[in-house]
This record gives sequence, C-alpha cells and structure tokens, in this order.
Amino acid sequence: MLNDVEIKRYSRQIRLFGEAGQEKLKRTRVFIAGAGGLGSIISIYMAAAGFGRIRIVDCDSVELSNLNRQILHESDDVGRDKALSAYETLTGINPEVEVEALVETISKDNIDNLLQGSDLIMDAMDNFPTRYLLNRACLHRKIPLFHGAISGCQGQATTIIPGKTACLRCIFPRSPPAAIFPALGSTCGVIGSIQVTEAVKYVQGSGELLANRLLLWDGRNACMDEVACERNLGCMDCREMDVNK
Amino acid sequence: MKIILSDGSRKEMKLDNSCIEEVLKSLGINPVEVIVAKNGKVVSEDETAGSGDELKIVRVVHGG
Repeated sequence: MLNDVEIKRYSRQIRLFGEAGQEKLKRTRVFIAGAGGLGSIISIYMAAAGFGRIRIVDCDSVELSNLNRQILHESDDVGRDKALSAYETLTGINPEVEVEALVETISKDNIDNLLQGSDLIMDAMDNFPTRYLLNRACLHRKIPLFHGAISGCQGQATTIIPGKTACLRCIFPRSPPAAIFPALGSTCGVIGSIQVTEAVKYVQGSGELLANRLLLWDGRNACMDEVACERNLGCMDCREMDVNK
Repeated sequence: MKIILSDGSRKEMKLDNSCIEEVLKSLGINPVEVIVAKNGKVVSEDETAGSGDELKIVRVVHGG
C-alpha cells in the first residue's frame, strides 16, 4: 500500500499507470551495477520513480575527472567511496526508498550474494568482462538485464529477458578491447534514461521492450537507429542455460 | 553490396558471397571492435554477404 506522502509524491506517475502500477514499482528490488555515469542517471531516476529497494554497488572512489557526468557525486565527494556518496544522494532525493550501497568489486565469487533478492539488473558497468558476469547471472536467476553502454556521443541499449531474447553474449560474442573512453554526461543521460524506461515498462507489463533489438544512439548526428538480434544457438552462455534447465 | 560504416557514411562494394570478416578486414576494421547487421539483423562475422545485401557496421561501445 502507498502512504499519503507517496500518493502525493508520485501523483504524476499515478496518472500514468495508476496506484496499482506505482505499488508494483514499490515492490520491485533493483540491482544497479556501478555508480558512475550510467549508474548516476539510472539510480537517480529509479529512486525518484519509487522503485522500492535499490542496491547499488561500486568499488571506486570519486575522482575529479568523474564529475562531468557522474551526477550522483559532488565536488566535496572527491576521494570518498562512490557507494557512500550515492547513498546520501539517493536517500536525499527520495527517503521513501530503501537504498543499500555497497563498496564491492563485482566478481564471479560474490555476484550470487550481491544479487540475492533482486528482481532485475541494471547494467551501468564500464567493461564487458563484468557485463558477461551480469549476463550469466541474469540467465541463471531468470531475471532481466537492462544493458546500456556509452562512448563519447554514442550509446547502445537493449533488454535481455532470459529464455525469450538473445542474451548479451549472443549480441556481443567478444569483449571489445579495453580502453579509456571519452564520455559526455548527456550521452549517459540518454542511455541511462532509456534503461530506466525499459525497467519501468517491464515492471508495468506495458509497452514494447527493446527485446531482441539493439538501440543505437548517435548524438553527433542526432540519430536513433536499431538493429534486430536473435539468440545464437551456439552461444556459450545461453546454451549452458538450456542444458541446466 | 551496400555498407553503412559506423560513422554513418555509406560505401558500395562489388563483392559476391564474401565472408563478412574478410569484408571488415578489407575495410581496415578490426572485427573485435564491431558487430555487423546484415539486412538489419546482427549476424556472426563467419556469415557471407552478397551483392544484394546491406551491411551495417556498429562500433561496440563499452563505457558506463
């Protein structure tokens, strides 16, 4: 049940999907992998929207060079753990939401524990090896993974529904070479917002998800495009899931 | 075949039944850095493409 404060706080969303829809968000437990550029947008909008429990994980501390895009953090946070800074910002934005912020490096050893009790996974990572861990965990736990990634003015997003769509490795079979990437904060804004919209639609059971569709954002040319994807029957991650079914 | 490069520019190549990986190499593109959509659908670089096909080359971004 929503309390009176929540009914007022979410009144514009209640116009969109009713009190029942808002309660669905309240019951949803979210795992956000990363409190950087994408993680900032994703966590702020998810907290503001009233997702009931947000667990956000990041192992890094805030650096001055993060502040052009990582709007969870302020100048005074430089040197502090991103997770702690995220906790303060998110609980400040919406005290109705339960926030758990963890200073951890996501690894194959702890991912099961970290995801315990989560209903969906938001990908806000900056590297593919960790994304593949999230992918395998989403397949194993049969919970959706909302993928996003950016570089400069470009970004991509897709929604992975285990058993129904291509998995992340079907689409990206190999990790691109690691490199320091250029980043514009507004590109994180575009892609992170799309990921949150996908999660809201998934919880509400309405709209058309980015299922088997990879959305491509080209900010330089102000162009949004998409390509279709399908499951790769030889995919080392999906195939394994079928074996374990 | 029509090629749409990751910067949005377009190219026409006279190739028949060519392995996509070879097409990428002939364009000087490292296959590890991209995925390729053939006629709008992501395919493996082992696949072939012919004169009537359109290849869209998507540079994979990894930042967050």
